[in-house]
Amino acid sequence: MKHTRMLAIAGLAGALALSACGGGDDGNGSSDDGGPGTNGTVADSGTLKFYTDKAAWEPQFDQVSAASEDQIGFDLDFTGYSDADTYSAFIKQSFRTAEKPTLFTWHTGDALAELVDEGMVASTGDLWAEAIANGDVPEDLQQYYTYNGDQYCVPLNVAYWVLYYNKHVFADHGLEPPQTWDDLMHIAETLADEGIPAFYQTNILFSFVWFQTLLAGSDPDLYEALGTGEASYTDPGVVAVMEQWGDMIEAGYFSDPGLADDPQVLLNNGDLAMLNFGTFFTGSLNALDMTSGEDYDFFVIPNVNPDLPQTSLIVETGPLCAAEEADDRAEAVAYMDWWLGADAQTEWANARGDVSFNPNAEIRDERLADLGEEANAGDIRLIERYFEATPQPVLTAALDGFGAFVTNPGDPMPILENIQAEADAYWANQ
Amino acid sequence: MSSTSVQVDPDSGVVRRTRSGGRPSYRWSAKGFVAPGVFIVAGLLYLPFLWTTFLSFTRYRGLGSPEWIGLDNYVAMFSDPALLTSLRNTAFWVVGTIAVPVGIGLLIAVLTYNMRFGAWFRLPFLIPYAISGVAVGVIWSFILQSGGALSQAMDTFGLPGADSRWLLDAPLNTFVMIGAAAWQASGVNALLFVIGLQSIPKEPVEAARVDGASGWTMFRHILWPMLRPLTTVVVGLSIVASLKTFDVVWVMTQGGPGRSSETLAITMYRETFVQSEYGLGGAVSVFLTVVTLTASIAYLRRQLSERKAL
Repeated sequence: MKHTRMLAIAGLAGALALSACGGGDDGNGSSDDGGPGTNGTVADSGTLKFYTDKAAWEPQFDQVSAASEDQIGFDLDFTGYSDADTYSAFIKQSFRTAEKPTLFTWHTGDALAELVDEGMVASTGDLWAEAIANGDVPEDLQQYYTYNGDQYCVPLNVAYWVLYYNKHVFADHGLEPPQTWDDLMHIAETLADEGIPAFYQTNILFSFVWFQTLLAGSDPDLYEALGTGEASYTDPGVVAVMEQWGDMIEAGYFSDPGLADDPQVLLNNGDLAMLNFGTFFTGSLNALDMTSGEDYDFFVIPNVNPDLPQTSLIVETGPLCAAEEADDRAEAVAYMDWWLGADAQTEWANARGDVSFNPNAEIRDERLADLGEEANAGDIRLIERYFEATPQPVLTAALDGFGAFVTNPGDPMPILENIQAEADAYWANQ
Repeated sequence: MSSTSVQVDPDSGVVRRTRSGGRPSYRWSAKGFVAPGVFIVAGLLYLPFLWTTFLSFTRYRGLGSPEWIGLDNYVAMFSDPALLTSLRNTAFWVVGTIAVPVGIGLLIAVLTYNMRFGAWFRLPFLIPYAISGVAVGVIWSFILQSGGALSQAMDTFGLPGADSRWLLDAPLNTFVMIGAAAWQASGVNALLFVIGLQSIPKEPVEAARVDGASGWTMFRHILWPMLRPLTTVVVGLSIVASLKTFDVVWVMTQGGPGRSSETLAITMYRETFVQSEYGLGGAVSVFLTVVTLTASIAYLRRQLSERKAL
């Protein structure tokens, strides 16, 4: 019958459409490209799927991927996201599918704890023990990767947060890098008098930077206690820091928080004098053909409180993780083992123009190499970056609050009370 | 097998083709052809909506299993002061989108539809419609940032307000973003109104002209009432589009500073993908759906009942 035939054709079309939507997964993410991990065996070469929210770093990842292919037979199939929120949702959703992310970048702190609690990431305890024993990773770093007594993931990178400055602007105004906080404020005052904002600040995402600098440089114990819920955002020490921050904004030390231009461009143009950023920023400045030591330089930010025994230096470390249930987990762990070594880190850090967590890596940029050594010396206290040290719901409230504060500085108490309310709700559930 | 016969109505002379014996098979095959579309819509729209509604009654952070918590997300949503700001801004967007792009679109259409080379006058207004909302946001961010192109231009001409912080101070930031969205949407509204104006029968317009109507009188008493069906569509679409405003705001301010320019769609995205509170985000999206459906249905019912009454 004609209508039966038509019905069958229509039904077939529907079935095809639905199967196309379902995306025929064979349960092995790497099999299409001849990758490792099929049939439970551990391959000694192949391609590993790699996901990151650092899409802009693709050239550097490609460079390291070529090196790893030469050295251990594995290269990376790069997928980069430029939006962190979309990336986070993608990774979380992918754990619900048959195609788990073989290797992926993430954030330490609360974000990684969440994956560990759900058993999503592979343990790396053996890698850490070996790397610490042979001096490839400083033991201090291990705390950021330890959950319930075991380690998960390995450091993708570390970055120290320092003040970058435009050397020409400093020279034009007869300024020298500061030795003390008072020196720094004198520089800011001098520049403000000339109508040049000393420091960059923004009301989106990186609104926490100066809160972190001021509090860690004033009372690092209080800063760390905020991250563990042992102190309150309405503590007098926190309020004092906010008031100091507000005074600095009112004094004209900061750029307009609503600028849409890239901060590296503003520094390059001399529209502002200094930028408080992680050492990964060196790569952004070099990309503008600025030369380290000639056009720009950086210094460790002096403590606000000169009586502190050590200088607080903010450190940021992002993890490289393997999914626990990825078919090629063993190969991914082997890749992470290579990643921790001096050869990989020399390649990676120089490609990125950044410091390395591995003291055995050879860093070509002398200023970065010196900073790496300085950071591991006794007079520096490494403090975890606010972004990783703060639980997600508290962080989001804080970023909104700080964004509002840098835009309209005034009484900080309503903002601090709002952040503390989020903190109370979060810690009550832990 | 079905066959087709031709009949001629003796009174009107209209030719009708009728199918004998084919109706059931026609219906079955029609259902068969509609089925894939129904499955796709059900699978990609209704099922996710039901899943989102379910999630809105749970605590779920994107990992593990959702935990049933009843109405807690709705209580949290309605007790959050930021929701009020979000609702206020969304209301600004609805009113602003109807007043500005629809109003400007109508003005452009009325001024140019009878004009020689009118299409060329409308073209510059239409071009921005080809740009994505994200690109519009990026372009206008550079224009509206503090000390940006707008401030510089105002400064050059000595106009007051050159030092305004367009995207930093609320509710000014929402108003200027409505302006940016209007820049994009006015042209297409003008195009729709021109189509409406060109489809108006010539006879009543000529009759009115003979009676001495022109200018505002012609527009108020002849063109505007006859444009009513198209106005209903344009305003209806604008209401729905404004209630789900997201891209321009996300690109220009991300709802900030301090959540001051959030709309309901931004709140939904923020709770779901920034905070990873999928349950709370689900509650906001259910609320947004209810608001959008209620506003659309109420508006269309009112318009349609008024048309019937005419």
